Amino acid sequence: MRAPYKVADVMRLSFQSLARHPGRSALTALGVIFGVFSVIAMLAINEAASAKSELLLRELGSDNIIVNAVKPSGQEEGASGGSGRRSVLVYGITFEDVDRLRTVPGVRRCVLAHRAQRIAYVSGKELAVEVIATEPAYADVARLDMTAGRFIVATDATSKQKYCVLTATLARKLFGPYDPLGEPLLIGGDVYRVVGILARLPKAMETGSDIENTIIVPLITHESVASLYTIIRLPGSEVREMAEVNQVILQMENEAAVERAAPVVRRLLQKYHDREDWRVQVPQELIDQQRKQARLWNITFAFIAAVSLLVGGIGIMNIMLASVTERTREIGIRRALGAKRRDIVGQFLTEAVTLTLVGGLLGIGLGQLVPTVVGQVLEDLDVVVSGLAMLLPFIMAVAVGLVSGLYPAMRAAKLDPIEALRHE
Amino acid sequence: MTELIRLESLWKIYPVGGGVTALRDVDLRIEEGEYVAIMGASGSGKSTMLNVLGCLDRPTHGRYFLGGEDVSTMTDNELSEVRNLKIGFIFQSFNLIPQLSIVENIEVPLFYQGLPRHARHPRSRELAELVGLGERLGHRPNELSGGQQQRVAVARALANDPLVLLADEPTGNLDSHTTQEILDLFDDLHGRGRTIVVVTHEDHVAERTRRVVRLTDGRVESDRATSRAAGVPA
Repeated sequence: MRAPYKVADVMRLSFQSLARHPGRSALTALGVIFGVFSVIAMLAINEAASAKSELLLRELGSDNIIVNAVKPSGQEEGASGGSGRRSVLVYGITFEDVDRLRTVPGVRRCVLAHRAQRIAYVSGKELAVEVIATEPAYADVARLDMTAGRFIVATDATSKQKYCVLTATLARKLFGPYDPLGEPLLIGGDVYRVVGILARLPKAMETGSDIENTIIVPLITHESVASLYTIIRLPGSEVREMAEVNQVILQMENEAAVERAAPVVRRLLQKYHDREDWRVQVPQELIDQQRKQARLWNITFAFIAAVSLLVGGIGIMNIMLASVTERTREIGIRRALGAKRRDIVGQFLTEAVTLTLVGGLLGIGLGQLVPTVVGQVLEDLDVVVSGLAMLLPFIMAVAVGLVSGLYPAMRAAKLDPIEALRHE
Repeated sequence: MTELIRLESLWKIYPVGGGVTALRDVDLRIEEGEYVAIMGASGSGKSTMLNVLGCLDRPTHGRYFLGGEDVSTMTDNELSEVRNLKIGFIFQSFNLIPQLSIVENIEVPLFYQGLPRHARHPRSRELAELVGLGERLGHRPNELSGGQQQRVAVARALANDPLVLLADEPTGNLDSHTTQEILDLFDDLHGRGRTIVVVTHEDHVAERTRRVVRLTDGRVESDRATSRAAGVPA
């Protein structure tokens, strides 16, 4: 006739025993602490990497190849430059490049975007904004969400009235609580009418330097490109800089076409550009690169985790064996007073598990530093420690406790009570 | 009087070096309420006797009835249960568990009976009181004197309300003054009807009992009542 043991009772017993050698217990738990930390890091990196991949896919689209103009680092003067005091820096993708890119096999659509910085005025307010002049298909290939109104349409490019689309943030800044739809807006001397509000722009696409304050207008290719210079005024001089085209989004027929076309696109640009004023973004490549990097770190942390948990497990087994030897007499006493073999197994097993429980909890505590630590080396990953990333290593730690505690516990239980009582 | 312990032609042979016979054909009966000393020189078999009586060891041949139950063929688990419910051990070196408090030490047998904490506590306090340890219940054993530690051990031996108290050289580690105190405590317990078996080689301990069983070479050499038994029906 035995009532079931109260787990709390045996746990208290374990704490009492472990508290006799606090330093030893802490050292033993160290392996588990690092093991748990490493598993947390591993899982967190995995989660962050796949979240990042998803984001890239969602924002860039797996069927796109994106070509961006990049301002070269050397301040070279462009061909159409005027006097020394008024110069023009021309770089990036040209309309000729675009015509060549259109011929790449597998291209379904080719969407252009041109960018410039301007000042927007509305009812006494003025704000520096980034203007993206683009085509109606941009909304589709860049996966833009409209919160109100419509995106620019084909007829906007030819209509006398100029129309524009604002990001929600910019709309709030310029119009406050009022509905901006249909309202006029002065951009660099021209009057535009607001026809739509965008939720946000995809950051990963490198749409612009200031994606908060962005206005989208129709791209009018027959218009003098000079009207889309960005003017940078410095004391005593004025630099106009521009790229004919800042961004080309090639929407491919399918993902296989992306893979085939990417090197072709790169070769084409290399052939006609003598400097690196362009960059090709292939979402699939970015994701692969991301995964590769994440995998590398995963292997590192998996190795650390495996070694830590193994060493931790061996440490626990060792310390438990020492504990069994030290406490042979206690085992004898307990057996004499009615403890069964399974009670002794339970006691020592609980002690080993308690050790790993404490180590596991400390490891989880330390694991809260994972985002900081990993953030140092994987800057473009948004590392967050989730509940699951804490639960799994905790379970692993407890399993290590069970496995490494079993042998010492069995040995303790097998001791002959008479011998044990005689033990000095 | 009810028979509490009966050993029937009991043998204990250790399988070392061709077999060492520790007990030879021992017959012994102990009634309820008796206060018995088992004496003998070292190697006489008295330790083996204690182990068998305490259900820590099984006889090689013969039978051992404890409270009418044949315990000589029980399994390890069953013997644990018998020790837990029917036997109270008192050792020469007290054998308290160092990391447990006094109360917790007294409670160990109850712990293995599966009694919850709140049920163990009043019982252990009562026992501490009985053996004269009113205070210091939260202390660790090493904070007590030898005599006090042995009192704790007696309280622990009484925790399960055992059929028999088995004491193994209970005063071997005590000075003469505390020896008297512990023996007085035994007298007191005997007076209350406890059955006590003391294994000892000291005459002054044996003198305090009512009956002395003397072992030589694993045999019962003599079994007689002491002077103190005179007039007291054992």
